[in-house]
Amino acid sequence: MKPVAPEEEAALRESLKRCSPSTFEAAIQFRKTGNPEHLPAVVIGVIERFVEPDLRVKLKDADDDLRLIEDLGIDSLTMMEIVILVEDVLQMSINNDELRNLRTVGDVKTFIDCKVRGLPLPMPTKFLPIEQIAATMPIQPPFLFLNEASVSSSGANAKYKISGQEFFLQGHFKDNPVMPASIMLEALGQLAVLYLLEGLTPEPGKVVNPQMIFFTGCEGVRAHRVCKPGDILTLSIKPKRMKMPLATFEGAIRVGQEKAVIAEEITLTFGFSEVVVQPAPAAAGSGEGVNGSAPSSTPLRVAASA
Amino acid sequence: MPRVFVTGIGLITSIGNDAASVTSSLRELRHGFELYPPFQPDDIPVKVAAPVKGFQTDSTDPEDWTFPERYRIRREVIRGMAPHGVYAWCAMQQAIEDAKLAEADYSNAHTGLYAASGGSPHLMGHMLQRMHTLGVMRCSPLGIVASISGTLNFNLVAHFRIKGASCGFSSACASSSHALGYAYDDLTLGRQKRMFVVGAEDGNVDSILPFAGMRALSLQKDPVLASRPFDAARDGFVGTGGAAVLVLETEDEVARRGAKVYCEVAGWGQASDGHNVAISHPDGEGLRQAIEHALRSSGTPAEAVDYINAHATSTPIGDISEARALKAVFKTPEKRPAVSSTKALTGHGLSLAGAMESAFCALSIRDGFMPGSAHISRLDPECEGLNIIRSTQAAAPNVVLNNSSGFGGANVSLVFRRAT
Repeated sequence: MKPVAPEEEAALRESLKRCSPSTFEAAIQFRKTGNPEHLPAVVIGVIERFVEPDLRVKLKDADDDLRLIEDLGIDSLTMMEIVILVEDVLQMSINNDELRNLRTVGDVKTFIDCKVRGLPLPMPTKFLPIEQIAATMPIQPPFLFLNEASVSSSGANAKYKISGQEFFLQGHFKDNPVMPASIMLEALGQLAVLYLLEGLTPEPGKVVNPQMIFFTGCEGVRAHRVCKPGDILTLSIKPKRMKMPLATFEGAIRVGQEKAVIAEEITLTFGFSEVVVQPAPAAAGSGEGVNGSAPSSTPLRVAASA
Repeated sequence: MPRVFVTGIGLITSIGNDAASVTSSLRELRHGFELYPPFQPDDIPVKVAAPVKGFQTDSTDPEDWTFPERYRIRREVIRGMAPHGVYAWCAMQQAIEDAKLAEADYSNAHTGLYAASGGSPHLMGHMLQRMHTLGVMRCSPLGIVASISGTLNFNLVAHFRIKGASCGFSSACASSSHALGYAYDDLTLGRQKRMFVVGAEDGNVDSILPFAGMRALSLQKDPVLASRPFDAARDGFVGTGGAAVLVLETEDEVARRGAKVYCEVAGWGQASDGHNVAISHPDGEGLRQAIEHALRSSGTPAEAVDYINAHATSTPIGDISEARALKAVFKTPEKRPAVSSTKALTGHGLSLAGAMESAFCALSIRDGFMPGSAHISRLDPECEGLNIIRSTQAAAPNVVLNNSSGFGGANVSLVFRRAT
């Protein structure tokens, strides 16, 4: 614990006078302990102070994908105000180039965390509309289950709205369209593919070959909720291990705040572009490609509903 | 050439925060002076100022500022403003309401805004101090647009979505008269159909006290004696702040909208002393020339002028210069127009003065009165022979002149006429 001089505490209180009391508390704890755990509360508190009161509610249960400009109405000048206050409170300096890439609340949190810990800065979050997803992915409609996605170094998020027009819903089930759990798992697999292509490359300087990504297996899959036309699936995956030729992710699907599907592990096999393109080796032969996924042979435990 | 009319007024001044209360202050000669608290430390010899009431803008943080309930200003709007930007924002609201303008009426390419202020020395000082102590990158991102000269037009044009002509005028105490003159020109030349003319000043420690160095401020401790233009014992001006907005429209727009008018802007003139950077010409040479240009351009014979709102700020030299200029233009002593300086009530508003006093002229024509020149107990002998009215006259003037003089010897005279 580092003692904080009374005048320093007073200056900090003055700087944060328009922020919530918890922001000040987090900032003073950070000053005393240097523990980065307090940073998210400081950063959110500072952002909240600069957001118009009617938009602040969005920050309450914000996921890290909440966008500063589009969702919170923060313009570039307000961003500078935020930066100056954060610099002041956390006693750091941030330069312009670093700022340009901060698009979401999550970006800001990760960025500040890396700065404080002295880690290299993360790649910025990329937002991909459907056109860009389709242009990147080896999988194409009508079997592409991502409407929009965002990819950062720490993972990827996407949304898919069950339209009711999906061809398989005609038979699944009779007079009762329900999104198959296997397809939801497929959608998570697709998001993992997108991460391999647009996120952090498993080895610096190498590019993953889209033709060489295939599904190999999954573990700990549970379906919690029946999903039907009109539901908007919020998908997220996070990389757990990546070492050529395997990449393992954890994945989850929610509808609103409700859990729909959890997959403790989804594993893909992949290859790099420099390698001459050829049919994937053994691993791909045993499992199914994400392209034609019908997850059944692998140790898949689909718990319920679908 | 289309005729030009005043169709709306907004006022935040030391003698009232709307046209109605200002009018009654002018009629009843109620001044806005007080022993200004920030001037009371012993090492400050200047004691009196005429601050705006109902606003608190002392802090360097706009989010600390308070203003009358009826105004709502969002954080992202106020953050780039100086105190006088807030005054002007409020005066704009009044003027728009007064002229009965809908947003579509003024947010278009035919409506412009000319403004004048001395910037905000207070915020500029704060920003520079921050820069020197905390480092260059810790300057407030909006410190520049809130403080430099031009802050008024930057803010108002953006926030009121003005799409026609916009610019700022900088001729010190003649600034907003220049703004009005050139706004008139743009309307008569057919470049614009409607113009907002705005003058404003912070009127706080940092905008007023630097004038003490040139011995221009009154050191009187009695608020009633501090500002007394044309009085033999006058000893300098008293500073004030606030904002004044006038809406000027062409006759076609007045007819199209069925707008009520205060008066016509009949013309204007300007001329420079070419004499001294800060001292007016002893015989008021530039001002005389400016008045003559104004009368000629508006087709007004000197005898037709009923009332002059003088520039007279209560400085020993300036008031004499103006008195001599008036005597030179209005030669026949019996036919001289009524003259008063309303700075005896408001104090001197610097860049605000021209627009504020033009608004007073418009009120005086519409409401049929000529405000008296207050606080004269012994007229300066140099001013004798002029028709300086010491009390408010109920007579309605038909033709009114508003004079302004600024540093560098810039002089402007504006002519207002009862609309017929």
